[in-house]
Amino acid sequence: MNEPLTARDYKSDVHPVWCPGCGDFGILNALTKAMAARQLPPEHVALISGIGCSSRLPAYLTTYGFHGVHGRALPLATGLAVARPDLTVVAMGGDGDGFSIGGNHFMHACRRNVNMVYLVMDNAVYGMTKGQASPTTETDWTGSKLTPAGTHMPAFRPLEIALASGCAFVAREFSGNPNGLARRIDEALDYPGFAFIQVLSPCITYRPEQMGYKKIVHDDFEPTAVRTEAMARLLDDDGMTTGLLFKAPPAPWQGDPVPDRHRAPERVLRVGAAA
Amino acid sequence: MSELRQFLSHAVALETDAAERYDELHRAMDVHHNAEIAELFAQMAHYSRLHRAEARERAERAGGVLAIDPWAFEWGGGESPESAATEAVHYRMSAHDALAVALAAERSAHAFYAGVASTTSDAEVRALAEEFAEEEGGHAREIERWIERLPDEPDDVLGDLDPPMDVE
Repeated sequence: MNEPLTARDYKSDVHPVWCPGCGDFGILNALTKAMAARQLPPEHVALISGIGCSSRLPAYLTTYGFHGVHGRALPLATGLAVARPDLTVVAMGGDGDGFSIGGNHFMHACRRNVNMVYLVMDNAVYGMTKGQASPTTETDWTGSKLTPAGTHMPAFRPLEIALASGCAFVAREFSGNPNGLARRIDEALDYPGFAFIQVLSPCITYRPEQMGYKKIVHDDFEPTAVRTEAMARLLDDDGMTTGLLFKAPPAPWQGDPVPDRHRAPERVLRVGAAA
Repeated sequence: MSELRQFLSHAVALETDAAERYDELHRAMDVHHNAEIAELFAQMAHYSRLHRAEARERAERAGGVLAIDPWAFEWGGGESPESAATEAVHYRMSAHDALAVALAAERSAHAFYAGVASTTSDAEVRALAEEFAEEEGGHAREIERWIERLPDEPDDVLGDLDPPMDVE
């Protein structure tokens, strides 16, 4: 009998270049733990990312991965999930990639409801380009020379946008609780549709104050299947509440009725094979 | 916790998570050219793996390691107790800082085992938990001695020579 897969089996030999202390390490750990708990063969999983610090993650795993174009993780992942419904598809990226450059794709992926998990590793800053305000940056954040008096605009509210756009699995978790996040990822992988998890992931370099998140996050979301209740719950949300907020039966995408007709030709799937 | 295999499965997971975290810190420090601290974390990972092998051997004798989902362990917190906290980690951290992180992890593991020993209803689990708590306490005392042997360091050792916001 084969030895069961462990979290370590999903980690590649590529060493992460993230800053020591970066919250993204916790997401990497949670993802590997969730896959190990499900005993998912690495070759049955594809991770699709955009651009940014967090989008490096696919390189650090032994699954298939595609480090795509800025803001375009979701279109790539959608195409893959439709063409290869046999794969477990996880899209991922940062808050800038997902909510600004790829913001339009985010809304329409929520509407389209193709079967995948979307993890947004949210540190409320553009870290790779050295610390500019991102969509989820607080209005009064003055840490960047580009916005010395704050951003002068309200922060993007991804959970509300997801709910308003039709997403039927909406959660927020914290990278400092990798076991809790692993549980949520496991639940999202079970969900037959588009599952969105915003993950609060501190940036030690450009948002060092976020290293105190562990003291202020609170696991208070009570899951509901009523969209208006979920929306009402967010009215007084401080942005630090974690848990599953909303889960309802998926609609309208119910899988391809004729999957073989839309499957990529074998010659295309055999990338690199002799002609 | 009142079942021996369950307890020993926790012990194996605790050391596995500790080794993984130290390996992660070792690699991160290596990537960021802090060779001294990278080596220190590699040593800590090595010790954790040795302790895991001991715990696994005991678990095998007790019937094997149980398959427990990561979120189903009874840690009393988000992470297993000996996982080094990442909040105090920095790419320019000193040996003092690194050992402080390791010391906190060992103390946390000691508290976990002491807690099990004081609450379990099973005599065998209690005896093992007391033994493991004593071991973890010994590790903590050893790290305290390492810290005492370190030379003093300046207060602003983490002061960044190239602060990312200082662009003017």
